[in-house]
Amino acid sequence: MASKNLISVLDSVQSRIEVVRSPPELELFRRVSASTTPLSVEKLREGFGSPQEFSAAFGRARGAGWIKVAGETISVVLVADPSGPQTMKTLIDHLSEGKPESDLDDEQASLISDLVKRGVLKREESRNTTVSLTEAGRKAASQTSNEDIVDRLTPEVLSSGSWRGKRLRPIDVEAKAPRFYPGRRHPVRDFIREVRETYISMGFTEVQGDSVHPAFWNFDALFVPQNHPSREMQDTFYLDGLSDVELKRVGTVAKVASTHENGWKTGSRGWGYQWNIEEARRLVLRTHNTVLTVKALAEEKEKERRVFAVSKVYRNENLDYKHLAEFYQMDGIMVGEGLNVRHLMGFLMEFYKKLGMSQVKLWPTFFPYTEPSLEVIGYSKAVDSWIELSGSGVFRPEVTVPLGVKVPVLAWGPGIERLMLIRYGLDDLRSIYGDDLSWLRGRREVARS
Amino acid sequence: MPVVRIYTSRLSRMVGTDRKRAIDRLPYIGLDIESVEADSVRVEYSPNRPDFGTDFGIARALRGLLGKEVGLPMFRVHQSGITVKVDRRLSTVRPYIACAVATGLRLDDEDIRQIISLQEDLHNGLGRRRKAVAIGLHDMDAVKAPFSYLAVDSSFSFVPLGERHPRTISSILSDTVEGRTYGGALGKGGVFPVITDSKGTVLSFPPIINGAATMVTTKTKNMFIDVTSTNEKAGDDVLAVVATTLAEAGGRLGRVDVKYPGRTKTTPDLVPSVVPLDQHLVQSVLGMDLSLGEIKKALGRSRLSVKGKNAFAPRYRVDIMHPVDLAEETALGYWFDRIQPIYPASKQPGAFSQYEEYLDSVATLMAGMGMIELMTFELTDPEHLYASFQRPDGPGIRVSDPKSLEHSVLRDALLPTMMAALRTNIKSDYPQRVFEIGRVYSRSKGSVSETMKLGCLVAHSQASFTEAKMFLDSLAVTLGGIETSATAGEHWAFSPGRSARIDTGGSLLGYVGEIKPEAIEASGLGVPVSGFEIDLSVLYEHLK
Repeated sequence: MASKNLISVLDSVQSRIEVVRSPPELELFRRVSASTTPLSVEKLREGFGSPQEFSAAFGRARGAGWIKVAGETISVVLVADPSGPQTMKTLIDHLSEGKPESDLDDEQASLISDLVKRGVLKREESRNTTVSLTEAGRKAASQTSNEDIVDRLTPEVLSSGSWRGKRLRPIDVEAKAPRFYPGRRHPVRDFIREVRETYISMGFTEVQGDSVHPAFWNFDALFVPQNHPSREMQDTFYLDGLSDVELKRVGTVAKVASTHENGWKTGSRGWGYQWNIEEARRLVLRTHNTVLTVKALAEEKEKERRVFAVSKVYRNENLDYKHLAEFYQMDGIMVGEGLNVRHLMGFLMEFYKKLGMSQVKLWPTFFPYTEPSLEVIGYSKAVDSWIELSGSGVFRPEVTVPLGVKVPVLAWGPGIERLMLIRYGLDDLRSIYGDDLSWLRGRREVARS
Repeated sequence: MPVVRIYTSRLSRMVGTDRKRAIDRLPYIGLDIESVEADSVRVEYSPNRPDFGTDFGIARALRGLLGKEVGLPMFRVHQSGITVKVDRRLSTVRPYIACAVATGLRLDDEDIRQIISLQEDLHNGLGRRRKAVAIGLHDMDAVKAPFSYLAVDSSFSFVPLGERHPRTISSILSDTVEGRTYGGALGKGGVFPVITDSKGTVLSFPPIINGAATMVTTKTKNMFIDVTSTNEKAGDDVLAVVATTLAEAGGRLGRVDVKYPGRTKTTPDLVPSVVPLDQHLVQSVLGMDLSLGEIKKALGRSRLSVKGKNAFAPRYRVDIMHPVDLAEETALGYWFDRIQPIYPASKQPGAFSQYEEYLDSVATLMAGMGMIELMTFELTDPEHLYASFQRPDGPGIRVSDPKSLEHSVLRDALLPTMMAALRTNIKSDYPQRVFEIGRVYSRSKGSVSETMKLGCLVAHSQASFTEAKMFLDSLAVTLGGIETSATAGEHWAFSPGRSARIDTGGSLLGYVGEIKPEAIEASGLGVPVSGFEIDLSVLYEHLK
């Protein structure tokens, strides 16, 4: 019946206090106040079981200011405060009548533990199971509903007005309500939204595109030599047996190929090897999103552009706490006459400030397609350490010249998951994509600041 | 990326500065500090700066950065009189060899450890796992010049490093770890390369293993270096790095004449590379009006020199190939942390991709209908994708050499990976209502086509076709007033008779239905599941 919600079952521990005997100091006071003549201490002691008990009771009653001692030669005991023992007296009467402890006031209740210790009172505990009807249960039970009570408002009750002059049957408002799980967007989506808004606020246009590209756009166009370790199968996902046979060594492809071989007209020495079209045709899952921004660059050679893409990238990795095979990057490029490495630094510091990383350092590093190349390091208060945030740099002429781009291009490719770990206080990248409903449902919508 | 361990007391002695100052500057020459221990640091360096493979090279750069020793490092190379004759039959196997000698060495254990670590890093980096380039270091006093780079057959035998008895080439290739690991790096030609001295003692069987006779120890005073390669320039690059490092370690370098059939080449080639210095390019890349004097000073601290209109870079700087590289060298010598950033304010407003905004709206509406958004992986395993739904292993798109089977095939639908996600959540409270917006892949005309899809699953004791269809219809209408039509249609994910094909404006949008019990059972779920999967690009087209 409990599962059908007709009754509620309440287990409780109840305690009862029994009065074993009257407190001796109370007895002593009664005798003093009942006597018509002043009693000597000697006289008062008579009738107490032991001298120790008398001494204790006398000391308590006198200490509490109930009684006083007077007289020069013979000491007599007199009442000092007639209402002094009232609190204790009420307590003892109350408990003797078997009334509950919960009705006592604080002053009365404060006496209990001492009296229990002295053996005047005794506490007895008992376990109780209380079964009561729920609203539904009451409704089911009471066909003999009281005339003055409405079980619940219904359309009929409202339209007939039959509720007037009656009251609603009280329900158990303290009972536990079932848990409701609101629908929620994925935290990665919310974080991406924040990144996208940040980019937009800085004048960037969003681009998107396919995940599968010929190696040409993922690597060759970015001046990554064909024998570079990052192009090996152990790092990059190649699609088995698939290649872009349409790709021919003409136009942009031919310029890129010559740049690899001997620098073409870029002013470079080139890598000095025989470029192979077959290697460039192989289809790969993009290893970075610069492939998207570079394509946008090749297609529209505007002089001023700010472009970004927040999309997945893919790496042939064994999954562990800091490696995923698929994850998001938020790559961007900035194109414009007169842009230089100082603008790159300024942009990156501002961008990360907006994303909550106010302490950022820029260190030199190496990438095949940028010169200079900078690594962005940010201080995370949450983990109290400096963490790598992004690679960045100014595109090399070996990248821009074959694409016909004549103005400087600043580029960067940050991941998002590291920032998410910090935000959600996690330490394992896999937990972000674990699709664990208890986390997705239970995570706090409002972060503690 | 290769990592090298540097003992800080050694480094500060080599640089001539205190430990803290030396370590603080490491990131500003492009080294990532991996870890810091009491007496040492481990730093990661780019394979394009192989000269950072030892503390000798790092100290050389730091001395420049701190102004203690600037400009092009000079290396004197004396005549050694040693020759190496190259067998013409090696031209198809491993055609190139470059050699040098370093005499008067007094190496301690740490010196040797540094040099061996550099050798390993070069093998893996520029050497492309020894296939392109392999290095042999030898105690020259154990052998007698002239040397020969000889083609032998597989029955040829010698005592390899670490052994006491001779072994044949074929035994080395099949029975030793080195042979099995690097045998594939050998070119085909039926003959095998060995380097021998005038008495026939074997120095090396490149790129597999050295001979036992010439092992390098702390007692080695005079060293012979061989670098064999399939790419002559790469071999010369690697030898330049090794030879200049040995010079930093106190060696006196000597040159060797390599006699190819019809030509003689003298190695090592330590001639500095020449790059035109373009002051305007440096200024515009760095955004600073540096005078020629300031640029020269900064380049000097990066261990380059300027003469006339050209800059000269040491031969080991294999990464310098374009005048723009001088901009970075200037920035490094100027000190990167002295460069002032400028934020370039935007002159134009930004713009969201409308399509991404649309996907974002879909997510918001689905969440508004009480759904939790999942993000499962696009690369999955055939078990989830096919077997769970009793689908044949169709013409799926697989990736080559995946590190794990779990990420080996690109999904062609969302529902299978979503079902797999529900399987991991059987202990969570029901009802479970989930959705995913994700990319799926299919073959098309010898290539790959990509589609954004929306998948939705509801799992609880009362889950039904009607509930799934309610969510689908409600989404379409709320999103853009799109009316859909349902006709009975079978789909591999759903039970026959309990699935419908959904069309809008004459195009197929997707399918809705009750997941077939076989798939529910395969996923280990104990409740009925219904759902839908639709093409978000088609829906988008009809919104416009």
